[in-house]
Amino acid sequence: MKISTILFAVLFIFSAASCSDDLERTNINPNETPVAQPDYLLTNAIKSTADTYWGTTNNLNGTLLFVQHVAKIQYTDVDRYIFTSASFESPWKSFYSGSLTDISKIIELGDQNANPNYKGVGLVLRSWVFLLLTDAYGDIPYSEAIDIDNHITPKYDAQKDVYHSLLNDLKTAAGLIDPSGKAIKGDVLYSGNLNKWIKFANSLRYRIALRIADREPELAQSVISEIPKDKLIGDGETAQLNYLASPNQNPIALFFETRDDYRVSKSIVETLRSLNDPRLPVFANKTETATPQGYVGVPNGLTTTDASNLGFSKTSKLGTYFTTAQTPAVILTTAEVLFDRAEAAARGFSSEDPQDLYNQAITASFKQFGITDAATISAYLAQSGVAYDASNFRKSIGNQKWIALFGQGLEAFAEWRRLDYPQLTPAVAGVLNGKFPLRYIYPGSEQSLNLKSYQAAVAHQGTDALTTKLWFDVY
Amino acid sequence: NYKFWENFTANLRIGNDHYNDRRKIRIAYGTNGTPYGSYQETAYALNENNVELTLDYNKKLSDDFALDILAGGNLQSNYYESNDQKAPKLAVSGLYTLNNSRDPLVSSSYYSQQKKNSVFSSGQLSFRNYAFLNVTARNDWSSTLPVQNNSYFYPSVNASVILSDALDIKSDALSYLKVRGGWSKVGKDSDPYLLVNTYPFNTPFGSNPLLTVNDKSLNSKLKPETTSSSEVGTEIGLFNNRVKVDLSYYNTNSYNQILNLDVSPSTGYNSKLLNAGKINNRGFEAQLNVTPVSTNGFKWDVTANFATNRSKVLKLDDAGLLQSYRIDTYDVDIVAPIGQKYGTLLGTAYLRNDKGQIVVDANGIPEADSNRKSLGSFQPKWTGGVTNTFSYKGVTLSFLVDAKVGGSLYSGSYATGLYTGVLAQTLPGRDAEHGGLAYYYSGNNKSTSPVQLIGSASVPNGETVYHDGIIFKGVTESGAANTAILPAEQYYKALYGIDEHNVFSSTYVKLRELTLGFALPSRWTSKLGASSASLSFIGRNLWIIHKNVPNIDPETALNTGNGQGQEDLTLPTTRSLGFSLRLNF
Repeated sequence: MKISTILFAVLFIFSAASCSDDLERTNINPNETPVAQPDYLLTNAIKSTADTYWGTTNNLNGTLLFVQHVAKIQYTDVDRYIFTSASFESPWKSFYSGSLTDISKIIELGDQNANPNYKGVGLVLRSWVFLLLTDAYGDIPYSEAIDIDNHITPKYDAQKDVYHSLLNDLKTAAGLIDPSGKAIKGDVLYSGNLNKWIKFANSLRYRIALRIADREPELAQSVISEIPKDKLIGDGETAQLNYLASPNQNPIALFFETRDDYRVSKSIVETLRSLNDPRLPVFANKTETATPQGYVGVPNGLTTTDASNLGFSKTSKLGTYFTTAQTPAVILTTAEVLFDRAEAAARGFSSEDPQDLYNQAITASFKQFGITDAATISAYLAQSGVAYDASNFRKSIGNQKWIALFGQGLEAFAEWRRLDYPQLTPAVAGVLNGKFPLRYIYPGSEQSLNLKSYQAAVAHQGTDALTTKLWFDVY
Repeated sequence: NYKFWENFTANLRIGNDHYNDRRKIRIAYGTNGTPYGSYQETAYALNENNVELTLDYNKKLSDDFALDILAGGNLQSNYYESNDQKAPKLAVSGLYTLNNSRDPLVSSSYYSQQKKNSVFSSGQLSFRNYAFLNVTARNDWSSTLPVQNNSYFYPSVNASVILSDALDIKSDALSYLKVRGGWSKVGKDSDPYLLVNTYPFNTPFGSNPLLTVNDKSLNSKLKPETTSSSEVGTEIGLFNNRVKVDLSYYNTNSYNQILNLDVSPSTGYNSKLLNAGKINNRGFEAQLNVTPVSTNGFKWDVTANFATNRSKVLKLDDAGLLQSYRIDTYDVDIVAPIGQKYGTLLGTAYLRNDKGQIVVDANGIPEADSNRKSLGSFQPKWTGGVTNTFSYKGVTLSFLVDAKVGGSLYSGSYATGLYTGVLAQTLPGRDAEHGGLAYYYSGNNKSTSPVQLIGSASVPNGETVYHDGIIFKGVTESGAANTAILPAEQYYKALYGIDEHNVFSSTYVKLRELTLGFALPSRWTSKLGASSASLSFIGRNLWIIHKNVPNIDPETALNTGNGQGQEDLTLPTTRSLGFSLRLNF
């Protein structure tokens, strides 16, 4: 080897060693974009939140069992309320580090790009996700959440404070959204229709006002009086994500592609049967092996042996509607708004007619599930088990809202806890000493990763148990 | 290699390593969980290129001193590339091609590269072949760190003296004595692309592309990590080296260790990349070689070793908000809480009263404490082994017995086995033959509590009698002994959910290896043209002499990473038996 070659190599080495530009260029990630786009983030936020909200852990394997819309035919442990600290890890994780992080970025980009409509829409979605979280867990990180640079161990805020902040955020959002302003893209909920977003914001706010109505009736009333009736979700304006064909199918449909663990609960089947409710064939399928009743529900919380003795083919599967790929994840319906207005009227928060709104709400729910025949509807409404009972609005609205919210587990669970109707019987072989679960337990990982905040929350709210009552749940 | 001056040598080395891997994964129609089957093609490529130039200066300075100095530089560049295509649901069965898909293909590609430039130097000074001093220094510039922090320097010093030579105290009793000591600092960069937050894509929703915020919060101020270690040791030879002892003690501190720390998802992220404050590691290692018998033709050698190590996280973030590093999470969390044992298992424990008795609920089911508890650490107290080798003429018999003492293991297999009732451990109480108690449900109503049938008592209204009752040994919340009877299935399912019940000591003593070897007679080997040859029988992992965890080998591990201390239906360890034939030419 020539000495010049060596010298050349030496020079080469030392010149390269100090070349920082080259090193910096090497470390530019060629796989992901450094630029966030609000429209792409918005689609993702809506899709991923809807998946978590409508999916297995929150819905089928949790709240839908608690409210006895569905029951388990195998692996019945959760239907008997056997949960561990790992059971509610995934909703916490996907709502916080999935949904809320994307949404916060949309809000930030709305400010940066001077498009207040992204910010407003972001605030609506953020409020919805925080509402799902606090309804389920109670006290939750809110004021210090999604701010990792300043708060690596976010404190938990009292549920009361979370609801109050959400009421304010939604008011801000409805004020920010300007249908004549800059357009938004990527909106798979309302295709960029900003008027509908204002209505969604107001309807969510209405929902939260009633959520605190047993605790703080004055505040609930004053919030409701601020919301114009024509700025609420109306006919055909239900907030829902319409799923597509595989691989963008409805998460429940996806689950049933490979598994068969759930049946319709006996509680809802028998209620619908006793009311001659035309929604029964929508919610449930006839048993595969013909049975005299046609629709057979499964009692909640059987032991594995007792459940399997009932037989897979002699019990009703979830209605085909719910296991179809394109079936929407329903967030807030026309029917719910009407039930809410009926309740506000019944509580004297407004001067509307509760009975009329109640009937409209049931009619809207029928329409949602494809039943529009006027004679069927009026016959249904005329039954004594259905007719509005002015002496007990909780019973009438509670029972019918429970049916109308079929499939919307988290909301059905919150409203059942608040209205205390229908009066259900806990799981047959339940392990909570004859009690119902009244909340999710916090994920165990919080004890590894955010212990002091967790301990403060437990000290404030009470034992981290399924049976601990949340602040909003007065009765 | 070029010797261009007296005592100077230059050496230029250029090397390239390339590795390609293509995989085709077929899943058939009707497979559980994938009713339509799937087909996937994946290709990986890995490349590492090094250009290294070193200059060596080697000179005997005087009769007493010799010097060896080396200086050099290295350019390293790596890349990794992968391409993946998948037909997630096949259109027709039995045909494995990407075109045969009922859903859109799922495709992804990934490319990463990194470069590291280094200059280094080392010097060795020796004195009369019994005192040695070794000094090294190195500076790296890495592409994976921010430009302002991408250069890091790290030196080391090692010294050793053969005291038996230096002081001339060699005797029959003390044949060899050496002491050594060293200190080193080692710098390290990170993986590529951990500085700037970027946005990954998700599968498009119809015609809408999806972007999301990464769930890992990256760090634009990352610093190189540093590990400084000190070690002292001694080697002693006694009785003409019939007894040899080697002892060493080390103490290692890692500063600014680059960790992807799990954080509460309520921060908006699942993890944050941090330079974690300080992690300490110290330990003691000893090795003993003894030849108790060495006569004509027969020799017995014993080699024993012993090691113990303690790891502790002393500091994580600067503000001290993070109190625990979560190493892994599966059924239990494996954590390193600040100041406590590394590798602590954190999981659900029995709820106990002030007297330490397990509390059961009204149904007689043991309650779980809502606070997760430490269930021990996976770090053993010590490990060690003894090899005995006997050789007589051409026959050698050798066996190694080794042991790991202490350390906890969560057995997911045990928990699942309790849940499903497939383990022999779930026999007690299952039926009358296995001590199951008799009970019935009043009016055959299973939502009532089971009522125990004591002695020859009979059921009041002809109810069905079951014989799989068990009473959990615990107390009620008021402190009274539990009398509520549970069906065996529910009893064992309740134990499944209590991690404490499924944690065992991972202590073991094993016959690790047995070798029986024969040297073949030279009249055979010479015919093959070989100078010598030997035939051995080797068996490994032959016998677990002692263990505390049921059903499994305590060495079974969920993965090979840092998150030890847990096992869940993992493939069992293997025993191997084999022959080896060795020829020397």
